[in-house]
Amino acid sequence: MIRGMVIDLEKCIGCRSCVVACKQHNAQPAGNWWNRVFTPGSSRHLSPPEKGREYFLPVHCQHCRNAPCEKVCPVGATYKHDDGTVLVDFERCVGCRYCMAACPYGVRQFNWEDPKKAMKRYEYQNEYTYGHPKDYRLNGRLVYMQSRFKGVVEKCNFCVHYLDQGLDPACVRACPGKARHVGDLDDPDSNVSKMIRDKNGFNLLAEKGTEPTVFYLPPKRKEG
Amino acid sequence: MSNSKKIGFLVTGLLMIAGFVAWIYQYKEGLVLTNMRNSYSWGLYVSGLAFFVGNAAGGLVLSSLIYLFGVKSLKPFAKIGALTAFANVTAAMISILPDIGQPIRLYHMLLHPNLNSPLVWDVIVLNLYAALSLIYLYILMLPDLKGPLAKIALKVDQPKEFSEKWAKRLAPFSLVAAMGIHVITAWIFATQGGRDWWNSAVLAPDFIAVAVASGTAVVFIVSLLTYGFKNEHQQAYRSMAIIIATAYFVHIFLMYNDFIIHYWYGAHEALETLSITFIDYGLAHAFEVLAPLAAVILLLNKKIRQSSGAMISSCILLILGVFAHRFLLMPAAFDKIQLSMNPLGLQHNYWSVPISSGQYDPFIDTFVTKWHYFPSAIEITIFLGVIAFMCFVVLFAMDRFPIAGEAEA
Ligand code: SF4
Ligand code: SF4
Repeated sequence: MIRGMVIDLEKCIGCRSCVVACKQHNAQPAGNWWNRVFTPGSSRHLSPPEKGREYFLPVHCQHCRNAPCEKVCPVGATYKHDDGTVLVDFERCVGCRYCMAACPYGVRQFNWEDPKKAMKRYEYQNEYTYGHPKDYRLNGRLVYMQSRFKGVVEKCNFCVHYLDQGLDPACVRACPGKARHVGDLDDPDSNVSKMIRDKNGFNLLAEKGTEPTVFYLPPKRKEG
Repeated sequence: MSNSKKIGFLVTGLLMIAGFVAWIYQYKEGLVLTNMRNSYSWGLYVSGLAFFVGNAAGGLVLSSLIYLFGVKSLKPFAKIGALTAFANVTAAMISILPDIGQPIRLYHMLLHPNLNSPLVWDVIVLNLYAALSLIYLYILMLPDLKGPLAKIALKVDQPKEFSEKWAKRLAPFSLVAAMGIHVITAWIFATQGGRDWWNSAVLAPDFIAVAVASGTAVVFIVSLLTYGFKNEHQQAYRSMAIIIATAYFVHIFLMYNDFIIHYWYGAHEALETLSITFIDYGLAHAFEVLAPLAAVILLLNKKIRQSSGAMISSCILLILGVFAHRFLLMPAAFDKIQLSMNPLGLQHNYWSVPISSGQYDPFIDTFVTKWHYFPSAIEITIFLGVIAFMCFVVLFAMDRFPIAGEAEA
């Protein structure tokens, strides 16, 4: 089974709820955002590049099948789980950032400093912390922790820490437009496979040969 | 010890200490002290790797010319070649240490090496090359290991013949290993289909060309500093000048060959990387081309080759140009966002998806498409420390070992 995601751009209203849910659930340090939503063609979110022609594009790790980040990692800290999810082992990562140079999607982020220190500096009040509090190990490998080590790389982990509980990723659950769907790409009858087939699902940067498991459905043409 | 040597040890020693202290400080605070961020994730340190690896080519050029092609005039410089090769290849490895976020964990490279990663290949060949240069140097020094140094000399009947024979035998291997370090270092970048600026078949051959030019220039400088200007070395100066010039022109050909092909076709991605190099970093690009060109023209001039000062300055100019070239490895790779597109339905709008920099600052954007990188004071201090280390190794070995054999006599 290959866990894949479909994002329906027709349904995305650009509210960025998924961005906030992702940031909170995964305890991302200041300045790091695993998941981002943009208005393509415009430098300001929600301002149309041309009248009536705006749509919104969520971007995060594409969990590539042919993932350059995984291939370059000298120590195998970035690796692929059986279900196709590309994960980072926070205990193994040496912080060489080769994977960041390799990823064509610009979704990998680095802990340039101790995240706790950064939190203090940004004056969150009363020791406020956020994020899933418990470490999560998958077959012994530390793939989620609330407060990352400084000097390691992080990125979308497909909310691997909710897998045991049978929960979908936070972004999927948080989406009020129901634009996000998760399912088995290997099964031709799964919800995601059907959507990709019936609604012209496409990949970002397909020409780079990374074979992402995140697919997008094009928005409908807007009548002028 | 002469005064100039003392000053040399003092200056390199102080710079090494400063670099080391800066590294410890950076280790404690994190790489936030550098000016790299998520969108521009490699900077001076990795440029340093490419730079020093290139400088390590001297050993290859000399040993292969002497022992494979019989260029006898270069023989007095063979040991210097092996020594500068060793010093620079070690400096290359040290120069990426401060780039590593968790250096203590590097033992994972031994426990769980990912054999798919060009970085693992590079670590292997760099170490091999360092070992090989040391062995080479030792073999060349063998006949001169006398007095107190006799302790470390291998006991053979005829050290001179032995040394000659083994130097010859090792020459082809050192040639292959030396090609290896440039090719594999280039592959770290060239394999990355995600970065148009690097993803070129020409990068590896070009790395060799640049390395032959700068590696020879390094040997040239050290030889002049050791032996001073000598008329009987005229032939060797000429040979080295010609090697440097040829390598430089091959490099310019390879580089512009790549540019022209991409410029002619005019795809957006290529034009963007070219405009970063030619417009945003226009001055640096002019320098990387013109400084070595000037150096080459000077070195090819017979009159210049009558003065050791003029030759040394020309070689330094060339090396500075090569350094600029190595620095420019990064901007066009990182200041161009790969995830760029024409938004659906918009013909004339080419748009790049910004990257979150990893730095929150109320006054500047977190999401960026360009990061105006210039190394921070910490990065520069550490880098100077690595240069000092390289010079120190050369000075120290020169002082303790019979490297400048015939001149001392
Ligand atoms: S999007 Fe980037 S980080 Fe995610 S799997 Fe692909 S190459 Fe790796
Ligand atoms: S930064 Fe970490 S995850 Fe990325 S390539 Fe280096 S060791 Fe692997």
